[in-house]
Amino acid sequence: MSWLRLLGSRLAALLRKQKLERQLGEELRAHLEMLTEENLGRGMSLEEARYAALRSFGSVEQVRESYREQRGLPMMETLAQDVRYALRQLRRSPGFAAVAIVTLALGIGANTAIFSVVNTVLLRPLPYRDADRLVMVWGTDRPRGFDTDQVSPPDLRDWQSQNHVFESMAGSTDVMYTLTGAGDPAPIIGYEFSAEYFHILGVAPLAGRTFAPEEEQAGKNHVVVLGYRLWQSRFGGDRALVGKNITLDGAPYTVVGIMPPGFQYPGVELWTPLVVPREAVQDRNYRFLRVIARLKPGVTLQQAQTEMNTIAGRLAAAYPGTNKDEGVNIMTLRKMTAGDIRAPLLVLLCAVGFVLLIACANVANLVLARAVTRQREVAVRTALGASRTRLLRQLLTESALLGLAGGALGLLLAYWGTGALVAMFPPTISNLNIPRVDKIPMDAWVLAFALVASLLTAVIFGLAPALQACGLDAYEALKESGRSLSGSKHGRRFRSALVIAEVALSLILLVAAGLTIKSFIGLLRGDLGFNPDHVLSLRVLLPDYKYSKDAQRLAFSNQVLSRLQSLPGVTSAGTVTFLPLSGWWGVRNVVLQTQASSQQQMPPAVWSSVTPGYFRSIDIPLLKGRYFTDHDTAGANGVAIISTTLAKRLSSKADPIGQRVVVDGIKNPLEVVGVVADVHQLGLTSDETAEVYLPFNQVPTPLICFAIRTPSDPTSLAKAAQRAIWAVDKDQAVSYVMSMTQLASESLAPQRVVAVLLGVFAGVASALAAIGLYGVISYSASQRTHEIGIRMALGAGRSSVLRLVVLDGLKLILLGLGLGLAGATALTRLLSGLLYGVRPHDLPIFSAVSILLAGVALAASFIPALRATRVDPTAALRQE
Amino acid sequence: MTGGREDILRGTLDLLVLKTLDMLGPLHGYGIARRIEQVSENLLHLNQGTLYPALLRLEQKGWIGSKWGTSDNNRRARYYSLTKAGKKQLVRETESWEKMAGMIARLLQGAEG
Repeated sequence: MSWLRLLGSRLAALLRKQKLERQLGEELRAHLEMLTEENLGRGMSLEEARYAALRSFGSVEQVRESYREQRGLPMMETLAQDVRYALRQLRRSPGFAAVAIVTLALGIGANTAIFSVVNTVLLRPLPYRDADRLVMVWGTDRPRGFDTDQVSPPDLRDWQSQNHVFESMAGSTDVMYTLTGAGDPAPIIGYEFSAEYFHILGVAPLAGRTFAPEEEQAGKNHVVVLGYRLWQSRFGGDRALVGKNITLDGAPYTVVGIMPPGFQYPGVELWTPLVVPREAVQDRNYRFLRVIARLKPGVTLQQAQTEMNTIAGRLAAAYPGTNKDEGVNIMTLRKMTAGDIRAPLLVLLCAVGFVLLIACANVANLVLARAVTRQREVAVRTALGASRTRLLRQLLTESALLGLAGGALGLLLAYWGTGALVAMFPPTISNLNIPRVDKIPMDAWVLAFALVASLLTAVIFGLAPALQACGLDAYEALKESGRSLSGSKHGRRFRSALVIAEVALSLILLVAAGLTIKSFIGLLRGDLGFNPDHVLSLRVLLPDYKYSKDAQRLAFSNQVLSRLQSLPGVTSAGTVTFLPLSGWWGVRNVVLQTQASSQQQMPPAVWSSVTPGYFRSIDIPLLKGRYFTDHDTAGANGVAIISTTLAKRLSSKADPIGQRVVVDGIKNPLEVVGVVADVHQLGLTSDETAEVYLPFNQVPTPLICFAIRTPSDPTSLAKAAQRAIWAVDKDQAVSYVMSMTQLASESLAPQRVVAVLLGVFAGVASALAAIGLYGVISYSASQRTHEIGIRMALGAGRSSVLRLVVLDGLKLILLGLGLGLAGATALTRLLSGLLYGVRPHDLPIFSAVSILLAGVALAASFIPALRATRVDPTAALRQE
Repeated sequence: MTGGREDILRGTLDLLVLKTLDMLGPLHGYGIARRIEQVSENLLHLNQGTLYPALLRLEQKGWIGSKWGTSDNNRRARYYSLTKAGKKQLVRETESWEKMAGMIARLLQGAEG
C-alpha cells in the first residue's frame, strides 16, 4: 500500500503547491542562515560566511527542482501544461476549432442517439430475475407457415412433464376487459397468467402478492394483480387498494397485488389467473397459450431446442391427427421483446458509425492542414530539446480536447435527438412486432459510450497527423522555408487517401439510404387494396357480461350504424371485426367443401365479419358476384366473400362463385357469393392477402370496428361518432378513434424513421466528404500556385488550368466511387430484410447515387479550380 | 554513469538520517547535516542541499514526520523526527547494512588471504 500513500501525498502536494513552495523556501533559508552564522562564528566576514554557506549547501535551484520532482506528480503537471497550451492554441484558431468541434459533435451526437436507442431496446437488462435464462417456447407449423404459434394446454402439460432442460414452464393468454367504476369506462389489455408465470419472471410485487395455484380454477379466479401504470393513473397509487374490489366486465375482482414500475409487460395493465376452459383441457387443436420457460442453469438454447424437438416428435407420433406438423421454436425473451426493430437498429448503428468515420477523416484532414502551418513551431520546439513523445503527447492532448468538446456538444444533440427517435415506436399500432418505448433514457452507459466515442475519435483523427508532425527532421524544417515542407509527398498522399475513403463511405451510405427510401416510397404509394382517405375508425369491444348473446351485439351495431349514417357528412358506414392495419387480426382455415376431408393443410385465411356497408366505406372493389346485403341474416343461407388470392388458392380454374367452403369454427359450409380485391390487412410489409369475409349478421363478434366515410376531414366527425355510440350504451369504452390515413402512416413508422435517418446520415456524410474534398483540392491547388503561374506565363489557357486542378479531384472521386460501389455491393445484402419491392442491388439506385455523389464532389473540386485560374502569373512567380 | 553511485548513496543517506534522528531526537535539516558531517569526520562530502529531497522522500514513506518549531536561537525551523515505522525501517536497514558490510569484509579478507 505504500505506493498508495506516496500517490496520496504527491497528490496532496499538487493541491497545496503554493504553501509548500513557501515552506520549502523558508526551510532552505533557515538552513543557509544557520550555516552563515556558524561560519561567522569561525571568524569569517559576513560576505565570506554567506559565500561559504552557499558553497557547502550546493545549488539552491537544483535542490528546489529535485525537491519539486519528488514532491509532485510530474505527469499530471505536464498534462495540465499540455491542456493549457492546447487551449491556447485552439483559442488562437477559433475557426478551425469550431469547424472541428461541430463536425465531431454531429458524428458523436448521431452515434450517441442511436446507441441510446440500442441501449434501451437491445442492451438494457430486462427487469426480470436472471433474464438471460428466460425463453419463449412457441409451437410451429412449418407447412402452414407458422413460426411462432401458440400452444394447446395438453401439449404444454406434456412439455412440462417430459423435458429436463427447463426449471419450469408456464402459459399465459391475452384478454381484454372493460374497466368501470374508476373514471371513464376504459378498455384494458390484460394477461391471464398462471401462478407459475410470475415465479418464472421472478419479480416480487410492490404490494400484496401474486396468484396462488388454486386461483387457476373457475370460481376462484376473480382476483387481479394491477400494473403500476394503471394503479397510478386510475387508482391514484393507493396502497390500501390491495384487498378491495374493482369492476372488470361488470364483475367484482379482488386486487391481490400491485407490480412495481419496472415490471412492464408491453402494453399490459393488469393480470388475472389463467383458467383453462373445460373444452380446451384435452383439445390439442385449441392453441391459445403463450409459453414462457426458465432454462436450468448451464443449459444452452441449443440443448433446449434439441430436447424439445425430440418431445415434439414424440407427440407428433402419438397424436398424428393434431400434432403431425407441430414443432417447437424457442427464442430468448430478449429477442422476443426486441422484435422486428433489431435489424433496422443495427443497420442504423452501422450507418452512424460510417458518419463518425467520415467526420474523423474530415477533422484529421483539418488537423493535417494545420499541422503543416505549425511545422516550424514543432521544429523549433524539437530543436530546443522537446522530446518526440512529449510533442506527440501534446498534439494528442489537443485532439483529445477537440474530441471531448465535440462529445459534449454531441451529447446535447443526442439528448435532443432521442426525443425524436421515440417516433420509431408508435404506441397505437399493435401489429408492429416492436417493443413499447415511451422514453429513451440517457443512462450511465450512454454517457460512457459518448465519452469512449469522443476519446477514440480523438485518437483516430489525431494520431496520424501527430505522428507525421513529430516525424519531421527538425533541422530540415528549420532550414527550409515553411512552405516547401508542407507539400511533402507523404502528407499529400495521406490526405488523398482520407478523401477517397470519405467518398467511398458516403457512397455506401447513399446507396443504403437510396434503397430504403425507394422501398419506403414504394410502401407509401403501395396499393393497400382499399382507400384509407376520408375514413374515420373507432373500435369497441362489447363486454361479455352485457353482450353475451348474438342478438344483443346485432342490436348494438345496428343502432349505432343507423345513428352514424344519419350524421351530416357521412356517406357510408360499416363495421369490421379486425380493422386493416390496426394490428389485430384473426385467421381461420378455409377449404372447399369437396376437399374438406383431405389431410392436406393449407395456410389459413385472414378473416373478419363485416356489415354490408363496410366494403363501400373503405372502398374495397367487388370483382365478381355481390356484396353482402341485409338479407344475409342469421336465418338465411350461410354466405362468404373471399379475396382474389384466396379464390386462386382454393381453386385456380373453377369459378369461385357458388362454391361451398368449410370455415373453421362455423358449422355449416358457406356459399361464396362474391370475390373482392386483395387487401393488405396486415400492412404493406406483409404479403398475406388470402382473406375471407363473413356477414356480421351471421357471425356477430364482440370486437367491432366502425369505418365511416365522409367527404370532409374524417377527424372532424370523431366527437359526433363517439356520442352516437354512447347514445346507445353510455358505459361502452371506445378506443382507437383515428383516421385511417393516420393508421396507415403509423403502421409504417419504423420504416419511415429508418428511411429518414439513413437519408439524413447519407446527406451529412456526403456533405462532409464534399467539404473534405474541397479542402484537399483547394490546398493542393494553392500549393501549385507557383507552377500554375509558370504555366500561365508560358501561355496556358484558363481551361487547361481548370482541367489540371479538376483532374486532380476527379482521380480521387473515381477511386472513391469505385471502392464505394464495391463496398455497397458487398454490404447492401444486410439491408435485404428491410427492403420491400426493392432488390439490394437495385441498379437505378446504384447509378443514381453514384452520379449524384460524383456531381457534388466535382462541384467541390471545381470551386478551387476556378480560383486557380484567377492566379495572376506575375504575382505567383514573384511569390517565392 | 552516476546513477549507480547515487543509488548507493541514497540508501546510505537514508540510513544516516534515520540513525541520526534515532540518536538525537527531533532535529532540523541543518542539524542533521551537521551531525552527519561530524560523524563522518568530513569524509562524507555531501552538498547539504541534497538532504532536503531525501527528507521529503523519507517523510512520504512515512518513516519520519515533521513539525515547525523554534530553534535554540529563536529561529523558525522545521523539525524532523523518527516515526514508529521509521524505527522499524532503521532496524531493517541496519541489519541489511551489517549483513552487506560483513559480506564485503569477508570478501575482502578472502581476497587478501
